[in-house]
Amino acid sequence: MTAAAPESTSDGGLMRVPSERIGRLMDLVAELSLSVAETVRSPDLVGLDLTHFETAVHRLMMIVREVQDAATDMRLVPVDEVFKRLRRMVRELERQTGKKIEMVISGAETQIDKLVADRLYDPLLHVLRNAADHGLESSEERVQNGKPQTGSIFLSASQVGSEVRIIVADDGRGLNRAKILSKARERGLFGMEEEPEPSALWKVIFEPGFSTAENVSNLSGRGVGMDVLNTTMAALRGRIVVDSTPGQGTRVALHIPVSLAFLDCIIMRLGPRLYAVPIEVVSEIARPGPDDLPKLSADGGRELFRLRGKSVPVCRLENFFDGINDPARAPDAPPQVIVVFQTANGNLAVPVDEILDRQQVVMKPLAGRLSRIRASYGCALLGTGEVAIVLDCERLVTGGTTS
Amino acid sequence: MTAQTKIEDMSAPVIAAMGEDENTIADMYLTFDLGEEEYGVSIAGVTEIVGMQRIMPIPDMPRYLRGVINLRGKVIPLMDVRLRFEMPERDYDDRTVIIVMEVEDAPVGLIVDGVREVREIPPAQIDRRGQISRSGARSTIAGIAQVGERVAVLLDPSVLVSDGDIAIARSAEAG
Repeated sequence: MTAAAPESTSDGGLMRVPSERIGRLMDLVAELSLSVAETVRSPDLVGLDLTHFETAVHRLMMIVREVQDAATDMRLVPVDEVFKRLRRMVRELERQTGKKIEMVISGAETQIDKLVADRLYDPLLHVLRNAADHGLESSEERVQNGKPQTGSIFLSASQVGSEVRIIVADDGRGLNRAKILSKARERGLFGMEEEPEPSALWKVIFEPGFSTAENVSNLSGRGVGMDVLNTTMAALRGRIVVDSTPGQGTRVALHIPVSLAFLDCIIMRLGPRLYAVPIEVVSEIARPGPDDLPKLSADGGRELFRLRGKSVPVCRLENFFDGINDPARAPDAPPQVIVVFQTANGNLAVPVDEILDRQQVVMKPLAGRLSRIRASYGCALLGTGEVAIVLDCERLVTGGTTS
Repeated sequence: MTAQTKIEDMSAPVIAAMGEDENTIADMYLTFDLGEEEYGVSIAGVTEIVGMQRIMPIPDMPRYLRGVINLRGKVIPLMDVRLRFEMPERDYDDRTVIIVMEVEDAPVGLIVDGVREVREIPPAQIDRRGQISRSGARSTIAGIAQVGERVAVLLDPSVLVSDGDIAIARSAEAG
């Protein structure tokens, strides 16, 4: 926040504001934008000639949007705070591993929601430990391979669209495909003959209990703490992308939404239920032709969606979720639309009855009984006053488990 | 404060009708009807009583959780207590109300046939036996109260909401 009390000069015009007070403002802004939407869509207005009203509404909506952005901005803090704490850990890591480590930080000024920043330290420390412990070689080994004696870990942050990308990269030995694949097969993560894409394979190093280190150190390698990364990323609606080149190093990128409060979503209807999906995971919306949805008899009647010569697995929400006993679709109902989501585990095609809208929604966490809804981040309050379930496509593609 | 307080305005927060004496709140119960039976919940957890609203169905819930309502920006799941107790389903009418409660820090609305009254029931009039069912699970019944000539079954909302007494039957085909 840059607005300041006029007399405060010594502290560079900054004000300390309790976070509850900002939270209260955020809640009010959210309610404001909902009531505005409700007013504007009031059924009483249907059929009226409202030229001036429309213009005024347009301006009002713009202002509400700006107030929303300003309120969201207020909660943004630089990731620097987290990065500084991590930098302090490097000395500790050097001492524990006996390796020489240099940490290079960039993009520390990148802004992120305070609520997100507060939860980033543990998962990032985990990734950092992994890099120091498994990624970097010992000084002798590095010299033998013609690398500088001191290993480097690059910690960087940048904003790409509505996402902040935090990258932990090392210049170590890289991931060992053969070793990780055999271990992953042993644990049943891949079939014995399966040759997964590198990006799919590398992700398994963050599976709980997965570690290929021969000697277990007290830093990492015990397979504990792995959950902290996966669970935090799921809670923050983030994604993990791992990339590695043998001999050159490993790069772990965490893609996290800048703010958790407002969400740009596609609203979809299936039967009487409404679902919302963050816009960035929707890769395509398609209307399937008659032969585009072959049903396989194997594997309990799995369906595929044929899209430009590729097969995308189909997930029917009415089968995925429990407790849906809607009457069968009328034969004369308009054909369904297929929404293709991109997830870390590949694309997923989800048939819905219709796409309703694209709108910024206010997301509420699922409390109490509602927390039992699988594959959901929360519920979205729509401008119409309706409630939609915000789908977590990552959990949808893995069948509801939190991986 | 009299022992019985009729609820005149159903939409008014019950607490407002209760007066300030905190000591009595512990013994105050909101009683309601389910068919011919009378039930009650401690007023301490009740935040308000609202009329029937448009229910939006949500996935992954048992049949007795009918969906959610948006109550002034709060999303509240609704439990049809009739269905919860496997009583016959009944169309909602203008007596049907939603008792909105705060149970373990989360809001929940109970759909009941109609509310009766808010009344004081001293502990001496409540039979607390039978809180553990035969299966060893906690019962939804917190006690049986003698109210004049009638009997009111006092419910434990946390068991009611958590399904502590029943196993959730997950359909076999669910992933």
